[in-house]
Amino acid sequence: MESSAGHRASIPIGAAGLDAQKPLWRRRWSRDKYLYLMLVPVAIYFILFKYAPLFGEVMAFKNYRLSEGIWGSPWVGLEQFRKLFTSPDFVQILRNTLLLNLYNLLFAFPVPIVLALMLNELRSEVYKRVLQNLLYIPHFMSWIVLGSIVIAVLSPSTGIVNAVLKFFGVEPIYFMASTFWWPISFVGSSIWRDAGFGTILYLAAMASVNPQLYEAAAIDGASRWRQIWHVTLPGIRSTIAILLVLQMGHMMDVGFEQVYTLQNSAVGSVSEVISTYVYKRGIVGLQYSYTTALGLFQSVVSLILVVAVNRFIRAMGERGLW
Amino acid sequence: MMQASGWFRWLNTFLLGCFACAALFPFINILAVSFSSSRAINAGEVSLWPIEFNLDAYRNLIADGQLLVAMRNSLVITLVGTAFNMLFTVLAAYPLSKRRLQGRNVMLMGILFTMLFGGGLIPNFLLISSLGLVNSYWGLWLPALISAYNMFVMKSFFEGLPEELEESAAIDGAKDWMILWRIILPISMPVIAALTLFYAVGWWNNYFNVLIYIKSTDKLSLTVKLYQMLQNVSSELLRTTNGEGALQTTITPEGIRAASIVIAVLPILCVYPFLQKHFVKGVLMGSVKG
Repeated sequence: MESSAGHRASIPIGAAGLDAQKPLWRRRWSRDKYLYLMLVPVAIYFILFKYAPLFGEVMAFKNYRLSEGIWGSPWVGLEQFRKLFTSPDFVQILRNTLLLNLYNLLFAFPVPIVLALMLNELRSEVYKRVLQNLLYIPHFMSWIVLGSIVIAVLSPSTGIVNAVLKFFGVEPIYFMASTFWWPISFVGSSIWRDAGFGTILYLAAMASVNPQLYEAAAIDGASRWRQIWHVTLPGIRSTIAILLVLQMGHMMDVGFEQVYTLQNSAVGSVSEVISTYVYKRGIVGLQYSYTTALGLFQSVVSLILVVAVNRFIRAMGERGLW
Repeated sequence: MMQASGWFRWLNTFLLGCFACAALFPFINILAVSFSSSRAINAGEVSLWPIEFNLDAYRNLIADGQLLVAMRNSLVITLVGTAFNMLFTVLAAYPLSKRRLQGRNVMLMGILFTMLFGGGLIPNFLLISSLGLVNSYWGLWLPALISAYNMFVMKSFFEGLPEELEESAAIDGAKDWMILWRIILPISMPVIAALTLFYAVGWWNNYFNVLIYIKSTDKLSLTVKLYQMLQNVSSELLRTTNGEGALQTTITPEGIRAASIVIAVLPILCVYPFLQKHFVKGVLMGSVKG
């Protein structure tokens, strides 16, 4: 791709420099030609790899057959969607996708806020920095690694967690194979990976709170608790609000890798989400049209959610995402 | 500046220490298991320290060799992929940071749209297949040349640079690409470091695309290889130990699993302390203009 841009470069350079009384567009071109040339491979990339696949969405309205290709396969109108919406699988994966996101929103979202508030109260900068660095580590691990560690640690026979429970006389718990415990383990793994790293934005917002506010509050006799409540929290309120609505904009996606590494056949009824289902039915099961219809449904709902969220952020008086 | 009552401070300090330990505990446990005997693992005796220390699991994995091949593959995928990413992200971000550029807004909107609405898994898969990129690393690199988000982060960094720097160079007759190379890039090291790391970690941890596009066993990345080994450890790796006889009795799937995880995690843990601060800067840069 790069070399093709280089070839194009040699054509217009000589032509642009000749005329003194050039029209506006030629003056602009001779001024900015290198900038445009830089953008040529960029434009090719976005058109080929980001826009071309959008045409592939027509498959959702066809019955794709490998031998006939995307364009040759017969049109079936909304048949794939009818099949999808009447399938019991659909209700289940949609419910799981929304529920797992909801659990994360309720239980994982507040954790970095609390952690950041606690870190902000530390006096020793060195201790604070060490703790932050330790808490960030899981964020840099792949879900394959984290997922397998979670499974190993929670194993009923050899895992350390059940060994501790056994010590206290509790029967081994099949965390990863129980439909009750699996979502809890899922949320726990989300917290483990992202809570520490999630403090970064909150800590930055706290650092920008005017110290005079704390002094004034202290002079008025406010305790630490009241200072946190009346000074720190209002200082990070807009950060919390934005991150909250942003996360709500992603209600339709659950990351493939996290679920795929943690799930197993015993908990399919609570763990199968849209992304894993599309992979299994589409890539593995070759039901291209059916899963494209599901993917299109997901993309459209996500787009509506994100646009709505952006409107909402702007209505709150914050700067929007675009 | 703060007057905290003593117990509050100590409790806070103590609790945070506990949380940090809790976050690290699973890693340490896995490390301990990887060095422990199969008897101790099966008896559930291993917590933070190896019991009946031995290296059998590692010996087995290294003799097997697959994980090391996969690690080399991951290194290739990461280094080349990140280099492409940075080159093309700069090529996009620099021109688009120039407000005077005609057509800039159209292009920015076009790129923004790709962040909000994508073609979905199956159409992308068929595109890569029809380009003949399946089972080639190009099938990983090309579709991910530019992350739109990272491009926007870099663009707004460029926009924040003082214009006088460029103007004086432009008067001296320097071309745009020379200005970019000689003036802009050297003073943009913070954003370059942060984005390089974001891309590199993304490649190193990449799982899904390798799973879908790479078919040959000897081309698999560390993550996919690791997942396969974790699934099949009981059958595959333990069988190889059967030939060696003596090892057979001391090996357990949990030990092999733990050792594979440790090998996979090690490279990241080695570079993490030196690079950590760039990540934090990068996150903050991204948040200034989302």
